[in-house]
Amino acid sequence: MSAWQELVTASLIGTERAAVPAGPLPGSPGREGAPADPAALVLDRAALLTAARRGGRRPERAEPLAVAEPDTVPAVGRAARLRLARMLVGEHPDLLAEWLAAVAGRGRRVPAQSLPALLHQARRGSPADSELRRLVAAAGGPRARWLAELNPEWAFVLSYAPAGEDAWRLGDTARRRGYLSALRARDPDAARELVAASWDAAGPDERIMFLRAIARGLSLADEPLLDGALDDRHTWVRKAAADLLAALPGSALAQRMAARAADCLRLSGDTRGTRLLVSPPGGCDAAMRRDGITPVPGSGAAQPTARDHLLLEVIARTPLRTWTDRFGMTPAEILGVPAGSWSPTLFAGWSRAAVSQEDQAWMAALVGWILAGGLPGVASGAEALHQLVRRVDPRPDLLEPDANLLLMTLPAVREAMDVLRFRYQMLKELENDGTG
Amino acid sequence: MAERWDRARVLALAPDASSQRAAQSLTSSRAWAASGASPGAGTGPGTGAGPAALWGECRGSASAPYLTVIDLSGPAYRCSCPSRKFPCKHALALLLLWADGTVPEAAGEPPGWAASWLTARAVKAGAVTTARAGAGERDAPGAPKDQKTAARRAEQREVRVASGLTELDRWLCDQVRQGLAASQQAGYRHWDDIAARMIDAQASGLAERLRGLAAVPHSGPGWDGRLLEEYSLLRLLGVAYRGQAGLPGPLRETVRSRIGFSLRQADVLAGGEPVRDHWQVLGHRDVEQDRVRARRTWLRGRTTGRPALVLSFAPAGAGLDDSLTPGTGIDAALVFYPGAVPLRAIVQARHGAVGGSPPDGDSVTGFLAGYAAALAEDPWLDTWPAVLEVTPARSPGPAVCDAAGDAVPLHPEAGTCWTLLALSGGHPVTLAGEWTPRGLWPLTAWDEDGRAVPL
Repeated sequence: MSAWQELVTASLIGTERAAVPAGPLPGSPGREGAPADPAALVLDRAALLTAARRGGRRPERAEPLAVAEPDTVPAVGRAARLRLARMLVGEHPDLLAEWLAAVAGRGRRVPAQSLPALLHQARRGSPADSELRRLVAAAGGPRARWLAELNPEWAFVLSYAPAGEDAWRLGDTARRRGYLSALRARDPDAARELVAASWDAAGPDERIMFLRAIARGLSLADEPLLDGALDDRHTWVRKAAADLLAALPGSALAQRMAARAADCLRLSGDTRGTRLLVSPPGGCDAAMRRDGITPVPGSGAAQPTARDHLLLEVIARTPLRTWTDRFGMTPAEILGVPAGSWSPTLFAGWSRAAVSQEDQAWMAALVGWILAGGLPGVASGAEALHQLVRRVDPRPDLLEPDANLLLMTLPAVREAMDVLRFRYQMLKELENDGTG
Repeated sequence: MAERWDRARVLALAPDASSQRAAQSLTSSRAWAASGASPGAGTGPGTGAGPAALWGECRGSASAPYLTVIDLSGPAYRCSCPSRKFPCKHALALLLLWADGTVPEAAGEPPGWAASWLTARAVKAGAVTTARAGAGERDAPGAPKDQKTAARRAEQREVRVASGLTELDRWLCDQVRQGLAASQQAGYRHWDDIAARMIDAQASGLAERLRGLAAVPHSGPGWDGRLLEEYSLLRLLGVAYRGQAGLPGPLRETVRSRIGFSLRQADVLAGGEPVRDHWQVLGHRDVEQDRVRARRTWLRGRTTGRPALVLSFAPAGAGLDDSLTPGTGIDAALVFYPGAVPLRAIVQARHGAVGGSPPDGDSVTGFLAGYAAALAEDPWLDTWPAVLEVTPARSPGPAVCDAAGDAVPLHPEAGTCWTLLALSGGHPVTLAGEWTPRGLWPLTAWDEDGRAVPL
């Protein structure tokens, strides 16, 4: 036992019961200078050893960590770096996914020191909402994978790493999801064929995972697979497939929806000017249910709220070209036609359609229209506006709308403008990155 | 006077994350009825590259706007809002607007409400300078009666401290006599009581050390050794105090300041030789004890190589001095408190900002040798700045390792420093930290482009 350990043991037991270790210490005063009290003697020797041990401390040996693969991708510039720091402390955290996609899309990467905070944020989101995780993995590069090897909490990153087919055959859900998402991004047809071949053996949760992975890069080639899923035994699988088909304006489902919608909305011109005549669907038949529409539960089809709801559901799934083609008008012109008390429902339906069909012309028109005061009672449009300003191209003309000043005092509108401006600056500084 | 700051520097001033968010929500120009950047009171226009002061009127929930004014040289803030956070969200928002370049440069004087505060500050600063200049004369015989009273008070204090130290020595010996094993069951009261008696004895330095010991028995394996170390060093302070007549002057100052004989800043400034250098701000560590926040800011002189420690204090919840931003550099004159290892310092005069390039990192053996040399002068020295060129490693807990394979552990309470790991990726980085007997507390690291990253 070392001299120090002997002192610690003696002081732990107490000098009442334990003897003071005899070992002489170099540098300690001789017997004549030492205190008579054994406790004081222990303390004096301990002080001497403490200074000696602290001062004489030797370096330790350590096990080095693996070295991260070099990342040849350049990090984002200063402005984007500062913006990321702002988002990580809570400013528009919901725009992180878009920022990350833009970073990866422009061949840049996240600065290494921000990765822990980003990984932490991505881990907090639900596993089903894997988009942020996939994007962090993509924009984090090899450094994010290196960190994930060290911290099991961030293992999700590894499921997005380039992986062999083993990941699909033998991996857990996260690995399979990662493999499929990566394959879909690389080769959409191969991903679809893989899903089709695995469909029958998969349970409902896995089928929903398949459909989520397919949602990126959707095309008409996916229609037969999705059409088959409309008759699935499980409600949520059916619903997910129907939503994807509705986002594909060329699909048979979208065409059936357009036929239903045609009966609901007519343009009428008479001496009082042009108006939209609205007659919502009378009920929800089996074919409508198969196409993903669910009636309001517990209410009769004749009730006004139920009819309103059905109209919204149909419009939201109808290809937007249906309207511009049929009326021969631009989206902004269509929005300008009075529709009386149906206006909020139409706005909500068109907004959902524009978002799911990713129709920039309609999104821009809808945002411009609401900011110009087009919608009486903005409150009903607040949710739609919230979605639209997060997906519309933040063009400069939208940032300075011909806005109704009174509207600008509403929190929902102020927030919307704030989001638009933030996204505009965020994308612009990434574009300028590398040039200045 | 002040170069435009960037957003990161502004956000670093916020007392907490919610203040950062609140300030960012106020950065639309709609929230501000008027704002401006002025050359400041007392200085003529065109004195430098940028403004000395910012002011603005922020529309809040109250009917009258909040009046916010910032002296950028401190920085110091004043706002009419009732917030107890410091700086408040209005001041932060105004700084953010300035960082974004949306605060207009006002050619003339700021409005009256801002000008009066700025002038008062300028006058006060002038008064301090004058007082420093006149400090030498004040000590000259002029008021013998006051001097006599002061001498009697000082004598009384020495007597009190001496009897306090005797009592502490008895207490320390009792602990070792009865056995330290009992302290694991003892509550905070055990140390608070003896600390309170040291306060009565006017030995606040001892009291602070004792209060800090209550956590040691619950600090994991090896606690008994750590407690013995602290007790032994406390007894050594008492021994040194009783024998102070035989100590060299600087060591005597060290002993007295650790016991709690504090020097007034004015006396330090008057008595010390200013050391002018390009001081690199290595990093800072904030600790909170007894409702007081303390910030230890570590500096290193580029030319002299000297380490320096600048302390600042604030009540809990209030902002600390943030004029020394980690990663930046200042050309300044520092005056050191006297001691065997002069470390604590006061910034006497600032001559401007200099480039904050990364400091040169040491090897582990080089660093440990430097610490040992300092410890030989001051055995109580338990925090010491480290700048190392190292790679994160495991030993088996988190550690850092230099090119020669020599490693030191990180402080166990610092956890796994993920930001440091992310930054390094297994490659060497320049790392500044605070060395303690338990390991290195990481503070700042520099990325491959030479930018400082707070850890």
